[in-house]
Amino acid sequence: MQIKPILSALRRHKAGTFLIAMQIALTLAIVCNALFIIEQRLAHLSEPSGVDEANIFVVQNEWVGSSTAEQADAKIREDLRVLRELPGVQDATPSNSYPLRGGGWDDAVKLKPDQLQDSSGATIYFADDHFLDTLGLKLAAGRNFRAEEITPMNVRDRLGPPVVMVTKALADKLFPGEDAVGRTLYLIGGPSTIVGVVDLLQAQSVDRWASAFAYRSVIVPKRLAISLGAFYIVRARPGQLQAAMRAAPTALFQHNPRRIINEDDGVLSFAEVRARAYERDRGMAILMGVICVVLLAITAAGIVGLTSFWVGQRRRQIGVRRALGATRQDILQYFLTENLLISCGGALVGTVLAVAINLWLVTRFEMHRLSLMYVLGGVVILLLLGQGAVLAPAMRASRVPPVEATRSV
Amino acid sequence: MLKMTHLSKVYRTEVVETYALRDFNINVNEGEFVAVTGPSGSGKTTFLTIAGLLETFTGGQYHLDGVEVSNLNDNERSRIRNEKIGFIFQAFNLIPDLNVFDNVEVPLRYRGMKAAERKERIMHSLERVGLASRAKHYPAELSGGQQQRVAIARALAGSPRLLLADEPTGNLDTQMARGVMELLEEIHREGATIVMVTHDPELAARAQRNVHIIDGQVVDLAEDPRFHHSVMAARANSPA
Repeated sequence: MQIKPILSALRRHKAGTFLIAMQIALTLAIVCNALFIIEQRLAHLSEPSGVDEANIFVVQNEWVGSSTAEQADAKIREDLRVLRELPGVQDATPSNSYPLRGGGWDDAVKLKPDQLQDSSGATIYFADDHFLDTLGLKLAAGRNFRAEEITPMNVRDRLGPPVVMVTKALADKLFPGEDAVGRTLYLIGGPSTIVGVVDLLQAQSVDRWASAFAYRSVIVPKRLAISLGAFYIVRARPGQLQAAMRAAPTALFQHNPRRIINEDDGVLSFAEVRARAYERDRGMAILMGVICVVLLAITAAGIVGLTSFWVGQRRRQIGVRRALGATRQDILQYFLTENLLISCGGALVGTVLAVAINLWLVTRFEMHRLSLMYVLGGVVILLLLGQGAVLAPAMRASRVPPVEATRSV
Repeated sequence: MLKMTHLSKVYRTEVVETYALRDFNINVNEGEFVAVTGPSGSGKTTFLTIAGLLETFTGGQYHLDGVEVSNLNDNERSRIRNEKIGFIFQAFNLIPDLNVFDNVEVPLRYRGMKAAERKERIMHSLERVGLASRAKHYPAELSGGQQQRVAIARALAGSPRLLLADEPTGNLDTQMARGVMELLEEIHREGATIVMVTHDPELAARAQRNVHIIDGQVVDLAEDPRFHHSVMAARANSPA
């Protein structure tokens, strides 16, 4: 191996060596953290909602004119009847929100009325007895609401229904290792008995602030009877989503034209709901990806440029080495090894930088700690990139003929 | 040791063919010190580059140490250069990024020699040229004469069968040139085969034999009366 003489030669070219090593270090530090952020965002993107996404769509209905709570509730029930009668619709349910909506009702859950500290935060979903079937949710324990348990609720009412269902994640949090069915929890309006436990249901928000209770929800047997409007969650029969999405607003308008269903986002498939919910995450992942590609390309270009310059500068020296017995492979190996040494130096500094940047992000933005696998992966990527980038100029160097040694400068 | 028979070297462009060597014949025996002389453009350096396997030739035959070299591939030519030939260039051709020790080490590394043997050979060669104390110096810290001595040490370190010198004193002043020439003579006395290209009649006179080249062919020295006269005069004045 030629490591010692290569190191000696590099010591005589400190500026170029230092600059390229620092470029590699910075690239490594940024790429490691960017890839880690991308992975986090992608993991976030693929979190399951728990609902039958392929067949569900949401109608956002707004009423024209004011009405009493009773009138609003009556109109909601009529709309639900119209929707459920559509041939392409399997079921429909009203709610105040739905998973990934990015807005709704989150509240504190307690186990005792005089408890000072909340037992957990939770998303509150208003539901009727069609909620589970419409969303395609599975009961892990207990039972669904009965039709007679569903009551209308005005915004001024305090929430404290006699019965509720909870998600398994909330049940496990409130009653670890125990059966939650039949137990009591307290919402703002009073005690509620848990009658059912739903297997999996994501919260309405996917933002970081809601991550603590991402799958903890309380489902209350209420219809939100307000004059503004309501969400109708509709489950189409398999393969009839698009037809049902077209038919639903038409049927609702035919039944009662005094309403507004926005043409742009009044009817959304769950795929669109998901896309909107994770728009920022996807955007961030793409931005980070672009930054990685640009940085890697700049670093590769830097390595190609510097090595090409060095090959041109050392053409006679290469000829001398060939005259003294170096084979083409020896020359190729020389430049590959030289790059590997610079890259290793850069990677060493880059590793420290990557961890330092991550620590800063952890303290400033509550990010997760960088996995060492990302640093190792980044090092491998940078080393391979370096070897790939240096290959063309190194091949050019290996083709310098030995007679170059005898040519005058 | 070195035998070229009817050798030719042609440089071709789209419109013209230029013969650098034509029907070139030379035979250098083991242990000889031959000076190859001739005017500028006569083909001296072309001869040396072909003799040192730095370049291929167009026609004829070339036997080096009994091996016909025309059919050797690039790796085999590199190996022969490394093991059998020592080069001394006019411009010294030391690698400026390496110190004296590392410069002398270059051909030995390409031979795959172990570190201990390399070190022993390097120090022995440097002692032989009187520069052992300068092992850690860089070429730029040495005089021209010292640099050429390092180049000679580098050529000797691999114990080559043939030493090829291209105007070895061309870049040196008279005093340094004399020192280098004395070193070459000493090396020759120890048994080395040396082929030296020079245009200096005084240096040529100190070799055992002169081979004169004109227009790419070996000619009788007498065909170049002025150079012949200079060589004869130099021989007459030498201490013998």
